[in-house]
Amino acid sequence: MSDKFDAIVIGAGHNGLSAAASLAAHGKSVCVLERADHVGGMASDRMAHLLYNPLPRGVQAQTRQIDTVSLSPDGKHVVLRDGIASYASGDAHPDAKAFKTLHARLVTYAALLNTLAESAPPGLDQGLTSLAGLREMSRLAKLGIGVKRLGKPEMREFLRILLTNVYDLLLDEMPDGPLPGALASDAVRGAFAGPRSPGTVLTLMYRLRNGGSVSLPTGGMGTIADAYANAARKAGADIRCGVGVTGVIVEDDIVLGVTTSDGGKLLAPAVLSSAGPMQTMQMAGIPSFDIEAVRRARNLRAKGTTAKLNIELKGRPEFTGLTKEQSKSRLLIAPSVADVERAFNPAKYGELPSAPSLEIVMPDGQDRLSVIVSHVPENPKSGWTEKERGTLTETVIAAIEAYAPGLRDQIASTDLLTPADIARLTGAPGGHWHHAEMGLDQMLTTRPTVGMARYRFGVRGLYLCGASAHPGGDVTGMPGRNSAAQVLLDGVA
Amino acid sequence: MMDGRIDTDSIAAVPTGLIPGPVQSRLEKISTAKSWGNWAGYVSPLVLDTVEFEYFAIRNQTTLFDVSPMHKYRITGPEAEAMLNRMVTRDIRKIKPGRVGYALWCDEEGMVIDDGTLFRFSETDFRLCCQESMHGWLLDAAWGFDVTIEDESHSIGGLSLQGPTSYSLLDAAGLSAVADMKPFDLREIEPGLWISRTGFTGDLGYELWTDWQQTGALWDRLWQQKQPWGLRAIGSHALDMVRIEAGFMAAKVDFQPVLTASRLGRGRSPLELGFDRLVDFTKGHFNGRRALLKQKESGPRHHLIKLEIGGFKPADGSLIYYRKKREVGHVTSAIWSPTAKRNIALAELKAPYGGEKINDLWAEVYVNEEGIWDKRLVPVTVVTDPFFRNDRARATPPRPF
Repeated sequence: MSDKFDAIVIGAGHNGLSAAASLAAHGKSVCVLERADHVGGMASDRMAHLLYNPLPRGVQAQTRQIDTVSLSPDGKHVVLRDGIASYASGDAHPDAKAFKTLHARLVTYAALLNTLAESAPPGLDQGLTSLAGLREMSRLAKLGIGVKRLGKPEMREFLRILLTNVYDLLLDEMPDGPLPGALASDAVRGAFAGPRSPGTVLTLMYRLRNGGSVSLPTGGMGTIADAYANAARKAGADIRCGVGVTGVIVEDDIVLGVTTSDGGKLLAPAVLSSAGPMQTMQMAGIPSFDIEAVRRARNLRAKGTTAKLNIELKGRPEFTGLTKEQSKSRLLIAPSVADVERAFNPAKYGELPSAPSLEIVMPDGQDRLSVIVSHVPENPKSGWTEKERGTLTETVIAAIEAYAPGLRDQIASTDLLTPADIARLTGAPGGHWHHAEMGLDQMLTTRPTVGMARYRFGVRGLYLCGASAHPGGDVTGMPGRNSAAQVLLDGVA
Repeated sequence: MMDGRIDTDSIAAVPTGLIPGPVQSRLEKISTAKSWGNWAGYVSPLVLDTVEFEYFAIRNQTTLFDVSPMHKYRITGPEAEAMLNRMVTRDIRKIKPGRVGYALWCDEEGMVIDDGTLFRFSETDFRLCCQESMHGWLLDAAWGFDVTIEDESHSIGGLSLQGPTSYSLLDAAGLSAVADMKPFDLREIEPGLWISRTGFTGDLGYELWTDWQQTGALWDRLWQQKQPWGLRAIGSHALDMVRIEAGFMAAKVDFQPVLTASRLGRGRSPLELGFDRLVDFTKGHFNGRRALLKQKESGPRHHLIKLEIGGFKPADGSLIYYRKKREVGHVTSAIWSPTAKRNIALAELKAPYGGEKINDLWAEVYVNEEGIWDKRLVPVTVVTDPFFRNDRARATPPRPF
């Protein structure tokens, strides 16, 4: 069986689907191949639960904005919404003003940087003599002007904090506690980093780049994946689930198509891969790439650190000090910035966290706690035996039970996904949320790594379109969309 | 440790200074010049007696030089050929077992990392000999291939026997089995003794490879046939003269190995060094291919060329001018060639000079006349053939001199 397309997309995660939708909207025939029997990749109920960014145009699903509640051991929980902080009891929070100022500042800075996320990272490798080079220069100039427009004191502040760590940033403004703890945990969730790690202000800004509001898909995360798929299908893309790609066919340094797990062969002059750089290289064959490129892909920092625990309940749990409505918020266990930093320590040494920071959500209409556990190593020293899985599950339940007495009696079943499980199920390198650590050295023109930033991937016609590409992780569809734009710009498909 | 290095089990035994090579005790006995250099951490003779005697021995008799300090790597495995072909710029599938090939390899930007000789023992067994330490690079290049890389730098010794009477001496030493070996042939002449008809002199010569521990005995075996073949041990100064005559470039002299250069833009591509014929764009992907294809389109930035320079003064380091005005390059290696009776040089010129533009070029030479310096602009001529070429180097069987 042999089929011909203008482009083939490997993987039907949201980025693969987003790339397919963009290409199809430009009249290209596109085939999306997904190894699993369903679309969505990481955007599924089992693995994710919230959105931090608006859905791209053409992707339609029901969402509603929810509050964030940072739980406090002393019962004085803090409610956060759009930069406003107060106690759950309704009392004013003493640091509300400092928080508001800081939040507004970070959102402004983040919006500025967001202009860089909307297309391929700026680069001046084309020189200033070509039209393309001048266009690049004008984009950088736009950022420069934006920074200048902040005014001198703000510009100074922007440049001062940009590369620093979130620990210092937060504790310069307010005393430690659940309020800065919430921001610190948001800065490092999904990352192999603690609040004291350099570059965590940048990751916090990345999280806040669309204002920092948090939305819950009312029909569950699966509806988001379906919405992406529907948008792609509507544009005319052909999505085939249960068909994995076994190899990318390369001849004379040009992509010809792919071979598939059902023994077939699909031909296309452009292949977009939402897999990681190394997996993509292996599909196309290591000899097709330069030695340095392979070395960089091998050394890419992609240590997954987030586990997901789904707890099926027999009823709705009650959180001490929260109203029924408040307990439907995004609940954080991050009692202080220092606690978040300490929670990261065991991961450095391949150990399980004893007091992890957690993000807990009760999806609408379900008696289920969806918990994201930060700082869980992909490969603990002891391995992932039933014992380790049980220990981590128990640690998480005990941590939540401290705020919701009686939770244990309501549990019907638990489902734990370790970073290793996530890697296995989705193909994400290291089970990393963002496919590659969002570190300073792996962002913008060096994302995923030097020489791969413009989605092109050595062989002519081969492109990266997953979260490892610029701008990076989270359910945005942007890497996919940008990658498709580059394919069209290069005139490959 | 079973090689020339000192056992480092105790801290006190960590050597300071240079390490003796496998024949150092013999060299010390015959050295009158006491002129030693550092070659990859080993003591290596610059001159043993006088550079003139040693030079003329290479061209008129036969000479022995210990090349054991050279970096040597063994590459074995079912995918050794594929792995090396992805690394070097030429198509090594054309180097058959029992043959040696000269090769260059580049970084991803098409800049030369090093050059060296690739010895093919069998379909799946190679040795790479080169000037720069290449272990880390080879391990990176081997990743993803079914090959094993072994650093043989300190376990294999090599002796280079070069000069017109080399064959006669080997014959006298009982190694006449090399008689039918053509240039670049490689053969196991005796168990554990591999001989290749290779060298860095452009003349008749052989390189003999054996275990580090056997190298001394091999030296003695050849040395016993010293008379009547005029065998002389030589240092690297004389060798440098003959390699310039042969038109061979030297790493860190005529080009800067790109991985050791810390300044941007110091690397040179094979096309810029004049090795277009050793870049095979049709063989499939190799490191730096995409960058080299681009450079093939846009043209090289430099040309490494051979020059004949007016006058007698070696023009080492001289600047080259176009129309006596515009500075267009510099000399990288130069000698007065006693055999060619010409003032010769290798030089790097900025393109298009040395490429399309080869006329009206001048070298700036400084001459010290009994305490008074004089600056002269002497005419230079671009040469394409090696300065020294003699068909005795290629005759098979080799002629008995």
